[in-house]
Amino acid sequence: MIVHDAGARDFPPYSTDACVKCNVCTTVCPVARVTDAFPGPKYVGPQAQRFRGPSVSRTPPDRTVDLCSGCGICTRACPHGVLIAETNSRARAAIVDRRGSSIRNRIISDTDLMIRAGAPLAPLANIALRNRMARWIGEKVLGVHRRGPLATFARQTFGSWWKRSGGATTLPAAPDPSRSIVYFHGCAVNGFEPDLGRDAVEILERNGFTVIVPQQECCGLPFISNGLYAKARQKAARNLATLAEFARAGYRIVGTSTSCTHAFKAEYREMLDLGEGDAAAVADATWDICELLLDLHDRGELDTGFAPIVGPLPYHPPCQLKSHGIGTPAMDLFALVPGLRAVDSDHDCCGAAGTYGLKVERWQIAQDVGEPLFAKVRASGAARAACDSETCRWQIESSTGVPTVHPITILAESYRRADAQKTERWRRIV
Amino acid sequence: MPRADTVVIGAGLAGLTCAAELAEGGASVFVAAKGMATTHWTHGGLDVAAPAGAATPRDGVRLLARAGGHPYRLLRGDVDGAVSGHLARTAGEGLAHAGSLDTPLVEVPTAIGSLRRVAIVPQAQAAVVEPWQGDGLVLVGFARYRDAWASYAARNLANADWEDGPAEISAVEVELPETGRLRNFNGLTLSRLFDDPAWRAQALAAVAAALPRGSVRVGLPAVLGLNRHAEVLADAEQIIGRRVFEVPSLPPSVPGLRLFEALRARILRAGGRIQIGFDVVDVERERSRVTAIHTEATSRTLRLAAESFVLATGGIAGAGIRVRPDGSIDERVFGLPVAAPPRDEWFSDDPLRPHPLEGAGIEVDAELRPAELENIRVIGSALAGMHYLDQRCGDGVALASAHLAARSLAGTKAAAA
Repeated sequence: MIVHDAGARDFPPYSTDACVKCNVCTTVCPVARVTDAFPGPKYVGPQAQRFRGPSVSRTPPDRTVDLCSGCGICTRACPHGVLIAETNSRARAAIVDRRGSSIRNRIISDTDLMIRAGAPLAPLANIALRNRMARWIGEKVLGVHRRGPLATFARQTFGSWWKRSGGATTLPAAPDPSRSIVYFHGCAVNGFEPDLGRDAVEILERNGFTVIVPQQECCGLPFISNGLYAKARQKAARNLATLAEFARAGYRIVGTSTSCTHAFKAEYREMLDLGEGDAAAVADATWDICELLLDLHDRGELDTGFAPIVGPLPYHPPCQLKSHGIGTPAMDLFALVPGLRAVDSDHDCCGAAGTYGLKVERWQIAQDVGEPLFAKVRASGAARAACDSETCRWQIESSTGVPTVHPITILAESYRRADAQKTERWRRIV
Repeated sequence: MPRADTVVIGAGLAGLTCAAELAEGGASVFVAAKGMATTHWTHGGLDVAAPAGAATPRDGVRLLARAGGHPYRLLRGDVDGAVSGHLARTAGEGLAHAGSLDTPLVEVPTAIGSLRRVAIVPQAQAAVVEPWQGDGLVLVGFARYRDAWASYAARNLANADWEDGPAEISAVEVELPETGRLRNFNGLTLSRLFDDPAWRAQALAAVAAALPRGSVRVGLPAVLGLNRHAEVLADAEQIIGRRVFEVPSLPPSVPGLRLFEALRARILRAGGRIQIGFDVVDVERERSRVTAIHTEATSRTLRLAAESFVLATGGIAGAGIRVRPDGSIDERVFGLPVAAPPRDEWFSDDPLRPHPLEGAGIEVDAELRPAELENIRVIGSALAGMHYLDQRCGDGVALASAHLAARSLAGTKAAAA
């Protein structure tokens, strides 16, 4: 493939030479599907790229590239290996470099700061997040849409819970990488969904792993999506400094957020020019949690004692997961749970695309992109839906009213039911 | 990843058809494709065979099968079953066709006003293959739609030597009702607009109002709906009040997208899986068998193990066969040997003559197995010996080879059981 020949993974714009202008990318673009403010991936990608070039100091020709949500579907559909979304991301970063960024984009990208400010005041902050007047002010002052899907703060962050409960955070003196897992919880679990983190730990421990949760920061992906590469590199540097030590010792780094894990695996290299050294070691060591569990299953090492959870489950594989190139491991895991009728949404994108769907000028686009998915979820009649990525879960939940959980939550519940049934049987015998 | 009976590599007409047949037969099938394929670029009908001198597709198949080295010499017996299977399968998905292997090949206009010979076309192109019998032709263009210029096509057609063509050819340009979607748009955008009943009623009324009197058939850009195409077509005939037909235009091809979606839906419903963006980067072999392929993924490859593999990655244009500047040619997935003329024969003075490299491809045995690999089947444009641009045989070879491969694999499975 031309991509490998030209080293395009290290500099995606090189790959645009392979574009034959066939427009396949345009047919799959969810944003171009709903608005003609965005001319489509071909035009803002390979076409416009000819005028950009690293040595050209002119103003980039087309600001509409900022309407790209970064879902990455174009890259996967391209028959000629052009890294379209990656090229677009760099073009956006070049615009931000030259013209600066809005305060809004700098704030909504800084999830660590948000959690540091919001978590200690969780009850108060959550009232504000649910208050229509406060959201209205947020829209007018900041440009965060009043109905943009925002999660509420947890009273205790996952990180501080882990430390208080005495969990391991450092490389042990005698490393045991085959029976241990490094868990990267990411911002969503840390500040908003700590229960998901506890479910992940429970599942990993049940399958015989010792879990280590090292000191960590935001992976930097929200900064990348908003073209703030310098800030993203700071986050990357701090995470890599900690995680590379584990990766070099042979540990697997597992995440419940398909976005963070994809940032480690791909974006650090393709967008931030971190292709070697610590970044390469961490990329090679990183796993999505469902990818890991399915790998265990393929080796016959997964505890398959799942109790039935009967009913339909609409499942949406998020764009970030699809970019991993690992298919839909959650669907294969769901098949191990008796009675569970998981149905792949077969829909491109929920629209949220990280922070995209929060922005006042993008919110409607994001809703239109996700609407067919929302309709399917509503029509399923299911009590809940599943999706691997947090911002997608919040988008689906806020637009359908159907609670939406990580696949891990379903699996953990099934394990717990199995335990409860076992206990009940013993109780009867005794 | 659960083990599949068969992994089909490539999601063009050949790959999707083979996957559909296998899945319908109860096999577990996984389609892995590097990207979307040529369905998105094509006219949606079936080019079975239209070499010079052929009166019907069946005639063309016979002629090509007699010519040395054409895949039809192996596939002749499968063409009937393959074409009827395809027509039934697509009709079942709401995508009916007109014509058969015995329908005369007739000339129809392209979007630039050249002529191509067809016999089997989507229902939406049926009105253009029927004898003109004195009817005139009006080509309709839409204002600001850059991929179909009716007046340009009409002018070219007036100068073309159209055998038994329409009595008169003219063009009109129609202003479409404003929707806020007509700034940056292509055929796909229009097709989605036509899916909306209220908008299309206005648009079709605007077309009707622009037409001249008299007995004319109306050629519209091939954008008459994507997901509700049958309804749109019925509305078009009713509101316009004449016979209408679609003229396929530049990619993205809406008729091709409809075909892709129909086959995709069929495969999924039969329990098959399709993954796009899965580029094969490694292969595991055990003696004469391939046991697994690995597709490119972040951090580590994805391993797909199966009993058998179908190679449907296309020829040089489809990037299944790679030509390097030094003159070496290889097949990208399994590294199969490619039959091709030596490099000094690649060049000719006439750019419009069939290119010698067009016939490059994989040589196979009677069951479409390449040399030395027993559980592989090669189908579609990856096969050696076809010049699909002037023989117009690409779709027929795709379908017939997919059919034979599916039959052969089902037979192998039954024998093993």
